[in-house]
Amino acid sequence: MMMKKALMAATALVAALGISAAEAAWKPSKPVEFVVTSGAGGGTDQFARTVQAIITKHNLLDQPVVVVNKGGGSGAEGFVYGKTAAGEPHKVIFATNNEWLLPLVAKLAFKPEDLTPVAAMAVDEFLLWVPGDSPHQDAKSFIEAAKAAPGKVKIGGSQSKDTDHILVKQIEKAAGIKVTYVPFKSGGEAATQLAGGHVEANTNNPAENLGQWKAGGVRPLCVFAPERMARGEPVVDGKGWADIPTCKEAGVPLEHYQMPRTVFLPGGVQQDAVDFYVDLLKQVREKPEWQEYITRTSQSNRFFAGEDFQTFIKNNEDEGRAVIAAEGWLVN
Amino acid sequence: MENIASLMHGFGVALTMHHVLLMMLGVLLGILVGVLPGLGAPNGVTLLMPLTFSMDPISAIILLTSMYWGALFGGSTTSILFNIPGEPSSVATTFDGHPMAKQGRATEALTYAFLSAGFGALVGVVLITVLSSWVAKFALRFSSPEFFAVYFLAFASFIGLGGSSPFKTVISIMLGFAFTAVGMDTVSGSLRLTYGIDELIRGISFLVAVIGLFGIGELLLTMEEGLRFDGVKARVSPRKVFETLLTLPRYWVTLLRSAAIGCWMGITPGGPTAASFMSYGLAKRFARRREGFGKGREEGVIAPETADHAAGSSAILPMLALGIPGSATAAVMMGGLMIWGLTPGPMLFIEQKDFVWGLIASMYLGNVVAVVLVLATVPFFAAILRVPFAIIGPVILVICVSGAYTVAGASFDLWLVLIFGVVGYVFKKLDYPIAPMVLAMVLGDKAEDAFRQSAIMSGGDLSIFWSNGLVATIMALGVLLLVWPLLSLVVQRLRPSRDVGATTA
Amino acid sequence: MSTNERSLVSRFAMEIATGCATLVAGIVVVLGAIEYETGWDEGGPQPGYFPFYVGLIIIAASLGVLGQAFLNHRRSREAFVTREGFARVMAFFLPLAAFTVGSYVLGLYVGTFVYLAGVMIFQGGYRWPFALAVAGGITGFFFVLFERWFQVPLLKGPLEALLGIY
Repeated sequence: MMMKKALMAATALVAALGISAAEAAWKPSKPVEFVVTSGAGGGTDQFARTVQAIITKHNLLDQPVVVVNKGGGSGAEGFVYGKTAAGEPHKVIFATNNEWLLPLVAKLAFKPEDLTPVAAMAVDEFLLWVPGDSPHQDAKSFIEAAKAAPGKVKIGGSQSKDTDHILVKQIEKAAGIKVTYVPFKSGGEAATQLAGGHVEANTNNPAENLGQWKAGGVRPLCVFAPERMARGEPVVDGKGWADIPTCKEAGVPLEHYQMPRTVFLPGGVQQDAVDFYVDLLKQVREKPEWQEYITRTSQSNRFFAGEDFQTFIKNNEDEGRAVIAAEGWLVN
Repeated sequence: MENIASLMHGFGVALTMHHVLLMMLGVLLGILVGVLPGLGAPNGVTLLMPLTFSMDPISAIILLTSMYWGALFGGSTTSILFNIPGEPSSVATTFDGHPMAKQGRATEALTYAFLSAGFGALVGVVLITVLSSWVAKFALRFSSPEFFAVYFLAFASFIGLGGSSPFKTVISIMLGFAFTAVGMDTVSGSLRLTYGIDELIRGISFLVAVIGLFGIGELLLTMEEGLRFDGVKARVSPRKVFETLLTLPRYWVTLLRSAAIGCWMGITPGGPTAASFMSYGLAKRFARRREGFGKGREEGVIAPETADHAAGSSAILPMLALGIPGSATAAVMMGGLMIWGLTPGPMLFIEQKDFVWGLIASMYLGNVVAVVLVLATVPFFAAILRVPFAIIGPVILVICVSGAYTVAGASFDLWLVLIFGVVGYVFKKLDYPIAPMVLAMVLGDKAEDAFRQSAIMSGGDLSIFWSNGLVATIMALGVLLLVWPLLSLVVQRLRPSRDVGATTA
Repeated sequence: MSTNERSLVSRFAMEIATGCATLVAGIVVVLGAIEYETGWDEGGPQPGYFPFYVGLIIIAASLGVLGQAFLNHRRSREAFVTREGFARVMAFFLPLAAFTVGSYVLGLYVGTFVYLAGVMIFQGGYRWPFALAVAGGITGFFFVLFERWFQVPLLKGPLEALLGIY
């Protein structure tokens, strides 16, 4: 922990020193456009707007930042837009892992390589949730119930052939069960449908279900992560995020399922520009508002750039591709 | 009652000079974004969001919700004066509001619109005040089959007696459905009807279609007939506004019915746009005298406006209590809530009493402020009509085209709006009804999603649509409304003549 | 519309043309739908199901409209648009189309300025300085409104890039 903090301080220092050099190399000469690949109010939208608010509040850029929502076609609109803006470093694209997964399942005039990866700034966890009055107290009993009635248990999620759907397919494989996946428009909708008892479970991110958990409408069973989540404020009855077992502990051997919050530039931009934004985003992470955003949304504060980010993308894409191919969703 | 006490406490929180000033600022800004098509409350929220970071949550939400009221009111202004709906939910207001303006009754139309809107909003807020906890629980009972039933009901109440050829009505509806199918399909995750054209990935925007069909189509018609705006003849005077105000109680049946429809559609996920169509449809259907609708009937303005605002304000409740945003604006506001450290959801009512009841109290005040301010802008907008057409005509067009562009920031939409303009012109001249197409575009993809989600839940078994009392009742009502024209025909045969009441005179 | 104006396009011709256009639209929708499964499986209707039938209904209704056109409008000499009416529409529509094309190429601000000034001078009969001032004022107001206040970027063209505004 101490090491990590020291490291963070060091990177901050380097970033602070480095910024003057980077500025000399490339800096925005006109307003910067943040292209959000989700609709207003979605997770990616909040991510981008938080970054924008921090940049504006702390005057990290001389140029104004404008946020534009291009969430049509599950974000495809924004990616295609980014592709056509090749060589234009004043447009920054905010996304998740849909940048590399979406082109696998939908016929698009867009390939993941068409954008230049900049960084991933946080990873969002996925949990298995049941309604507050569900008889299942742990993941094991839920899985057994699902086993007993193949195809009868309904799991809700956001969108089709997207992160939630892929996760549900992985759960089916890992636990040897068969369920019915019901795609809703958003995680928020999936949360209310679960609280109303219309589906038996969902795989929402922490922030999407927090309100309903507090009110007793839904309950988490386990988290799809290698280790338990960070301890924050207790949420209900003294229980907090860290009290939720991992799904592996609970008998569902799935431990690497996370959604990164990613930042891209259009293709064909000079390396200087990429470096500039990496530095800028590093500065953003140092601000208290960022920490506050991470805590509030119960995400993990991780930062990947350069090689690390490339590796992350590679691994995540391979995993996703395996499921997508097995389900026959692959389009090209 | 506990809620009343909480509300009084809320008034104590909301009623400060500071907050009232914020309301006025919010409303004025809202009117501005509401008047401009394409720009809407979400854009205003974006503009204000940075400002609110330094405010306490109550001041911030008062500012934002006031802007939302302002935008709802502003949207009706352009609907009536220029036939350009400033907001999606004010499309139905153009049907009779614009003809009234053309007849030189712009002031009356605007006054009716604003007052009935204010009435609808207040009914919505009263509902929230009295029934907040019940409504939140009720909304949780809705799942995909119930959603589908609600959309079906809205559709059934608007469609029906077409004036012209039934073939044309069918074409209009089906084209609307086809347009909404373009783009990403939520249920299967595949891109439909895009024909490899990248620009179609995001789908065809309802607003772009409406700006073209109504705004530009109408201008083309006006030009062909060699007319100019006639709205200028009637001078706007406070006296006229007051006289109109006095006639409003005459329409109490319409007002009450529309407010009920609005509240219903606000709590269930129908939304303000569908509410206004449904209310218009029912006003027409239940009117003693059916002729005159679409040519400037007062009820044709009152019904959609009341329902629109009743839905708009009662929709705030599910947003707060359940965390489902009913509209893009609500979504952005929810983002704001989270930035201020509040989690929307059932606990908000328990943990943040000051905030919730302060907000509800501000909804009463905000709507009153909005009605007063928007009435005060009537002379200003009437003055716009006095600007020579050679200037104002092109300016309206520029606003239409820029507005269409701002919807998605896509230059492709510039062509689209032009095409829809021509389609609107041709369709109007050939008596193709345009409104059903617009309603189909509003409800089409939502209804399809709900239908297919239901089918997934039931394993393809359609009996899910009458599997419980709630969904069965709504479906039955929808079917009843669909066959109503036939029924009323039968009833008329059985009971030949009846006295016509004075309520709709 | 007064009756002594000469007919340019008859109502009958236009009914037929529109009916054919919607017929084609229906075919296009059906073709788009059959790229996907149009059946009904254990998960209910598949993605192409609704568009497919929507397309078929459009085709059927278009045929209905064509039939009605022959029955109702064939003999009638009703005009869809007269020469004079068409001229008035075009006087409005052509500048609008030019504005759209111009904005597409030059950006919305330049397009707006040229269009407003042009219409005021050539159709409104205003004098140059007045027209330019009004057009410039409105364009400038839009710029501040969209770019600065609401931070909604409108389409920009080469001129803005040249000036370094965007």
